Amino acid sequence: MMAPQPADDRALLELRGIRAGYGIIDVLHGVDLRVERGQVMALLGPNGAGKSTTLGVASGQIHPTAGRLLISGRELNGVRPEALARAGVCLVPEGRGIFPNLTVAENIRMMTYSGGSYADVQSRAFAQFPRLEERRRQLAGTLSGGEQQMLSMARALATDPALLMLDELSMGLAPIIVEELYGQVAELARSGLSILIVEQFAQTVLGVADIAAIMLQGRIQRTGPPAEIAEELTAAYLGIQSPNGGDH
Amino acid sequence: MRLTTLRPSLTLALAAGLAVVVYVSVQNWSGSPVTLDAVGAATIVGVSIGSLYAVSAAGLVVVYTTTGVFNFAHGGIGVFSAFVYWELVENTDGPGLPNWLGLVVVVLLVAPLLGVGLDILIMRRLRTAPLVVQLMVTVGLMVFFLTLTGQIWEANRARSVSFFWPGEGFDIGDFRVTWHRFAMIVIALVIAVFLRMLLFQTRIGVAMRAVVDNRELTALNGARPNAVSSFAWALGASLAALAGILIAPEVEFNPANLNDIMLIVAIAAAAFGQLRSLPLTVVGALLIGLLQAYNRQWLSYGGDWRFVDDAIAPIVLFLVVLALPQSRLDVGRVAHNLRPIERTTRWWEGTIGAVAIVAAAVVLANGWLNFGFWDPGAWNQIALNNGIAALTLALIGISLVPLTGWAGQVNFAPLAFAGFGAYLFFHLAGESGNALWIPVVGLLCAPLGALVALFAARLSGIYLGLLSLAFALLMGKLFFPHPRVFPPKQGGQFTNLELFGRDFDERKHYFILLAAVFGVAMLVLIVLRRSRFGRRWVAMRDSQAAAATVGVNVVWTKIVVYATSAAIAGMGGVFWAISKTSIDSVRDFDVLVNFEIVLLMAAAGMAFPVAGLFLSFRFVVEALGAKLDDVGNLDFLVWLLRDFLANFGPGLLAIGMVVNQRGAIYEMGKGFAPLLPWRADAREEQADERASKRVPEIGELGLHRPFTSEDVVELDHRLGIVDDITPPTGYRHGTDPAEVSRV
Repeated sequence: MMAPQPADDRALLELRGIRAGYGIIDVLHGVDLRVERGQVMALLGPNGAGKSTTLGVASGQIHPTAGRLLISGRELNGVRPEALARAGVCLVPEGRGIFPNLTVAENIRMMTYSGGSYADVQSRAFAQFPRLEERRRQLAGTLSGGEQQMLSMARALATDPALLMLDELSMGLAPIIVEELYGQVAELARSGLSILIVEQFAQTVLGVADIAAIMLQGRIQRTGPPAEIAEELTAAYLGIQSPNGGDH
Repeated sequence: MRLTTLRPSLTLALAAGLAVVVYVSVQNWSGSPVTLDAVGAATIVGVSIGSLYAVSAAGLVVVYTTTGVFNFAHGGIGVFSAFVYWELVENTDGPGLPNWLGLVVVVLLVAPLLGVGLDILIMRRLRTAPLVVQLMVTVGLMVFFLTLTGQIWEANRARSVSFFWPGEGFDIGDFRVTWHRFAMIVIALVIAVFLRMLLFQTRIGVAMRAVVDNRELTALNGARPNAVSSFAWALGASLAALAGILIAPEVEFNPANLNDIMLIVAIAAAAFGQLRSLPLTVVGALLIGLLQAYNRQWLSYGGDWRFVDDAIAPIVLFLVVLALPQSRLDVGRVAHNLRPIERTTRWWEGTIGAVAIVAAAVVLANGWLNFGFWDPGAWNQIALNNGIAALTLALIGISLVPLTGWAGQVNFAPLAFAGFGAYLFFHLAGESGNALWIPVVGLLCAPLGALVALFAARLSGIYLGLLSLAFALLMGKLFFPHPRVFPPKQGGQFTNLELFGRDFDERKHYFILLAAVFGVAMLVLIVLRRSRFGRRWVAMRDSQAAAATVGVNVVWTKIVVYATSAAIAGMGGVFWAISKTSIDSVRDFDVLVNFEIVLLMAAAGMAFPVAGLFLSFRFVVEALGAKLDDVGNLDFLVWLLRDFLANFGPGLLAIGMVVNQRGAIYEMGKGFAPLLPWRADAREEQADERASKRVPEIGELGLHRPFTSEDVVELDHRLGIVDDITPPTGYRHGTDPAEVSRV
């Protein structure tokens, strides 16, 4: 399966030989990753493979010790996360990406830092998730898990980003809510947004993704069409080297 | 105050407190009539002062809730700002600005700049630091600001700040409300409304609250967390300055006094609001203002309780901290500040150290050391007295080692325990000076420590520090100044120590005795650290929850460590009191003296008993300065040592913990230990550290030059860092994405 060929040749997000980690512990040992304009990429891999760290690098939260971070062809190593957020790179972090002690409305107000007027952002968020409007005066920490994730996702829908990164969107949620959320993701994808989705379990994302990559031990092990990747995933999780999974 | 369930013990405590209040009120009733006018006048005074307390406390709470740093320097910033205002407006040699302009310049320009500067230079780095470090750095800043103010504007000169609209006002019935007081109330109301609007109606206000919840997510939303924090610091400093300037006319205008009033009251009011609720903080501030006003109006105390007026805020603080709900255990949360691994000193290493300290004391005091070109000679009486003072402080200071250094219990009251020990000794053996009573004193001090532990056991973190602060203040203002504690008739005199018929009246012998006592105390602590007790203390500090799950009784462990610390401080206090011969029951127990001991211990490294020797800092610096002064032509060095370091040293050293959290001794030891033949571990650690420093070089190369992953692997090979990394598979730089899927 091919990504739709963008008019502009440059990839929206590109990581070249990224090495990064926490303190003295290296997690990423040379990650190469490329998300084309309008592409939906699924980044799969077991616990501890470095998926979230990759997103941390791509969102500016973790600065790589080596390699290059390019967004729209511009090298942005050392950029601050807030600058990237304002530039249209939206990361919905693992767990619930909300401020529990702020009300729903105040959470939405925080989104306006990435652009857009309060009224615009609010009306877009409520249009997508009417349930949030009912609870706008409620503290976000008192919402149900699904509602919290909706609020978290609302940022992606309301602030019109150029690149969306989702970290373990499905974690700890009921399947029906996961389905609803991925419905939104699919809609965003149809509108031409570039999306990088990190998931531990592949089935939820493979239907949405144009291309998938397996990450193991801090490296991208293999990139390919979702259907092929799905086959190899089990083997990769179990640590079995798949016969066609690499050039070494 | 949110008291969901009124515990029986709390009810009992409240009832007892009420009984004390009624008893004290009845006993000290001044006889002033309770008329409507008198009540009205006192209420106006109380509310107007309380309003300013509210402004000050609100600044403290805003900074704490938005940055997570409890700012002990809040009062210090207010004091400094008030003095800048005095310079601009009141000083006859100054520019003589009109008072409103001075207020605007200081509150809207000087203070915010100060706040932002502090944030950028210091506070930003404190965000992830352990609580003890946070506290020490801000307390160090407080001391620094007070010293700075005292140095720029000589503290002893009488100054005053005049009221706004002096004398003018309006009358309600028979009493006059001055415009100044009226303005205070209006200003507080305006500030309250402003803060409410700011925090809930504006985006920056919402962002300030968002930063507390989740700093990373704030950045992901596109807001700049650092800018938000800086704004909070600017706001906090402004509020401190405003309160400082407006309170100044009401009180004796000197740095220490103004700081006492601003800081302690602000802390008490903030604690009333549980350090987060602004409305409750305002209520607490008004309550303290009213209590003070009513107290002054209708109660008068004889000499016995002459400091009750000053003790009202500490009493409120103490009661509030006691009434707080039990602190929650940190369960299920990953500790972000995993403590570095500490090597425990072996008993024989401690013995060598102790012997070395005693030997050094003997050699120095006798002047047996002769460098040939320079013979320092035997110590004179002044040097001996300084040495004695330093060692007695060291004996008090090491009481913090088990308590704070190992068990992680913040304590700002070492002198309260020491003074209690001195008090006991004075009444048990003041006449004879028999040293055999000292262990008895230690045993009797332990229950006081245990009592404090019972209060402290429910608390954690910042509240523990506040409890000990309230304890230090109450002991210093109510207990020690009471004439029965150190009776002034006998001059609070201590006779020289006597042991088995031997009188330590000669200073040199007392000095050497103290060195020996310190050596023994150090050794005992080192042995304790390696015992079951020491392991429990450290386990409790690292994680109370984890300690409890492996069967450590946390409450009992806390009681033991507080009792141990109190016993050590109490015994140290005896030596301290004897060396002073008479106690100044007011100044000797000032909270600032407590702070200086704690700061120097922390800067040296509280985990190490030998840190006690760092309490000689001021004496050593001054002695060196005097020596250099004799040599001549070294004016700058003399100034540096005697004027700058002796005054600013403790504060600056504590502020230095921003960079060096583990203390000076650790840093020195890191360089020295690898030289010892039996410390292979230290050599290994040093080698590891050197190796780890090489890695960033490659990283930096990678950041500036367009490396491909192969380049990095190649470089790694050449530098010999990793030798078996295979090039990553999958997509590589320069290939067509279409190819990628077929790799």
